[in-house]
Amino acid sequence: MATFLATPRQWPRVLTGRVDALAANPADLDAAVRAGAFEGLRKAVRDLGATGTIATLAASGLRGRGGAGMPTGQKWRAASAQPADQRYVVGNGYGADPAVHTDHALLSSDPYAVIEGLVIAAFATGATRAILAVRADDPALVTMLEGAVLAAEEAGFAGEDVLGTGHAVEVTVRPVQGAYMLGEETVLLKALEGRRGQPEQVPPYPTERGLFDRPTVVNSIHTLAAVPWICREGGAAYAAIGAKGSPGTALVQLRGPAGGGIAEVPLGTPLRDLVKLAGGTGPRPLKALLVGGPTGGLLPAELLDTPYEFDALRAAGAHLGSGSVVIADDRTCVVDLARLLTRFSADNACGKSIPCRIGLRRLSEIGDRIAGGRPKPTDATLLGDLAHDIVASGLCDHERLATLPFTSGMRYFRSEIDDHILRSTCPAGVCQPIAVAAGAAHRDHA
Amino acid sequence: MSTIPGMGMVRGMGLTLRRFFAPKATIQWPEVHADVAPKFRGRLQLLYDEYGTLKCETCFQCAQACPIECIDMGGIDTKGRFHVHWGPPETYGERREESALRRSGRPVADHGYTRFEGIDLGPLDAILDAHDYDPGDMLAILEEAQAEYGYLPVAALRHISRVTGAWYAMIYGTATYYRHLRFEPPAVTDTPPAGTAQRGIEDGYRSALDAALGLGGRPS
Repeated sequence: MATFLATPRQWPRVLTGRVDALAANPADLDAAVRAGAFEGLRKAVRDLGATGTIATLAASGLRGRGGAGMPTGQKWRAASAQPADQRYVVGNGYGADPAVHTDHALLSSDPYAVIEGLVIAAFATGATRAILAVRADDPALVTMLEGAVLAAEEAGFAGEDVLGTGHAVEVTVRPVQGAYMLGEETVLLKALEGRRGQPEQVPPYPTERGLFDRPTVVNSIHTLAAVPWICREGGAAYAAIGAKGSPGTALVQLRGPAGGGIAEVPLGTPLRDLVKLAGGTGPRPLKALLVGGPTGGLLPAELLDTPYEFDALRAAGAHLGSGSVVIADDRTCVVDLARLLTRFSADNACGKSIPCRIGLRRLSEIGDRIAGGRPKPTDATLLGDLAHDIVASGLCDHERLATLPFTSGMRYFRSEIDDHILRSTCPAGVCQPIAVAAGAAHRDHA
Repeated sequence: MSTIPGMGMVRGMGLTLRRFFAPKATIQWPEVHADVAPKFRGRLQLLYDEYGTLKCETCFQCAQACPIECIDMGGIDTKGRFHVHWGPPETYGERREESALRRSGRPVADHGYTRFEGIDLGPLDAILDAHDYDPGDMLAILEEAQAEYGYLPVAALRHISRVTGAWYAMIYGTATYYRHLRFEPPAVTDTPPAGTAQRGIEDGYRSALDAALGLGGRPS
């Protein structure tokens, strides 16, 4: 059972609205139904119909919470427009970022929201098979989800005859494990097909040719969990929440010197408020915000008023990503942090595309060189050029976004990187070899 | 058919001379593509790195992609753990090795049989039957086979390949990709809990991130 941070009362609770009612036993179907579960499905099936549901989704402006922010209505429409004998809906609950537990928190606190979202998605796109992919780490959660799916099938909310309409939706829980890249949609589809987990070139998008070459809708479970609320309350109500271009709420994993946790925040909330929610910056001044997980961008304190939403973050050089916001105070060295993140991305590259496999490795090596006190004078230029080439020739978003720690670091913390390269000092005092090898010696002679 | 001795040589050299004096053309690749015969496949070459070690990772992707199936591979995998093989053993790659052995006069083992240890295929057949011999369920088949044998024996992979019809290279590629699948018996015989294979890398990332942020000691 996950706990969520208390948010201001006026903030809407789309994803965590039922958490308190289900606190005793999240898999309790009766309690969930009393709290409003499967009302959205009923409305979608009885009143809206398939095209009406997609129209409602499109009107709500819901964008995919997997990171890329693709409009969900558009995705569903593309999949349903594709002629096929079989369509699939896949709920991606893999939650690849090791430091983010929002997927686990959502599934373990309100499994029926995700299951209902899956069934609505299957109904709207004409799919008869829905797959919920989750991490295999927590066998108790997997068992609980399988029980929840069974209970929903017995109550007629899923299975062979959804709410007496004759529409069949077979929901399966699939535990997956073994690779970080499973968070990427085409990689997840490969794993579900029993193949090597490497991304596919898009287009064709999975909505056209996905699982077993059939049209497939892959949505994050955070997206799916918002769908029942939208069907119940209407698209306009959802569009009214949050920012104009990216309506709705999102689960954010906050972490800082003063604590942290998971909170549901409306998109468009200034980063300053998220810092406050995480307990502030602690005794030391805030230096940077790492927004988006291992492939996230480093934003300086001057950008604290940036709204937390897809477009503004991308313009600022970060992204929503895994939904993680980490506060770094002045003990953090930007070079050290960026090379750590890039190394993680390089270690987890699947190896299919060369810019990713070799380029990210070189990026992290340049970072090691700078932090280790042996930089070349051209390293700053090299970093920028290499990052640009990786973005230009990348196959999937993993490699394109994995350059963000260094590109955003170069954009906002250039003087600190120059201190490393040109003056052999680390302002934060983290990169030790520099101080020992050169910096200390210079200072002694000065 | 020439009756004058050496005429063939003259003709051949004639062609060489004609080509020698013909105008040279530089093809502006990749903007312009040379005109190649449809069955042209280029020349296979194994590359070595600066230390002189073979760059080939024995991933079988070339053998799998080869349209005329002319590539066969055999040897010890890159981590020196077990014999991997693609293609029938009697194709030239191993035969050449074997004929050299035979010429040397030493006794020659039949690698077709000693390559890997045999296993009891009964439980594996039960697993395959439960999955309807469906290659689409490969990950589940491999996971269950590993739970049964403790690891993935080569004999099991070959048997899965034979009965499901999936290429050995595909199965091997899948099995090597996921961190929780392994090819050697674990040091501890108990089946590790799910997610253990990745825990090391994930814990490492979390603690490194905490250290970089100066938050050491506190769980994230």
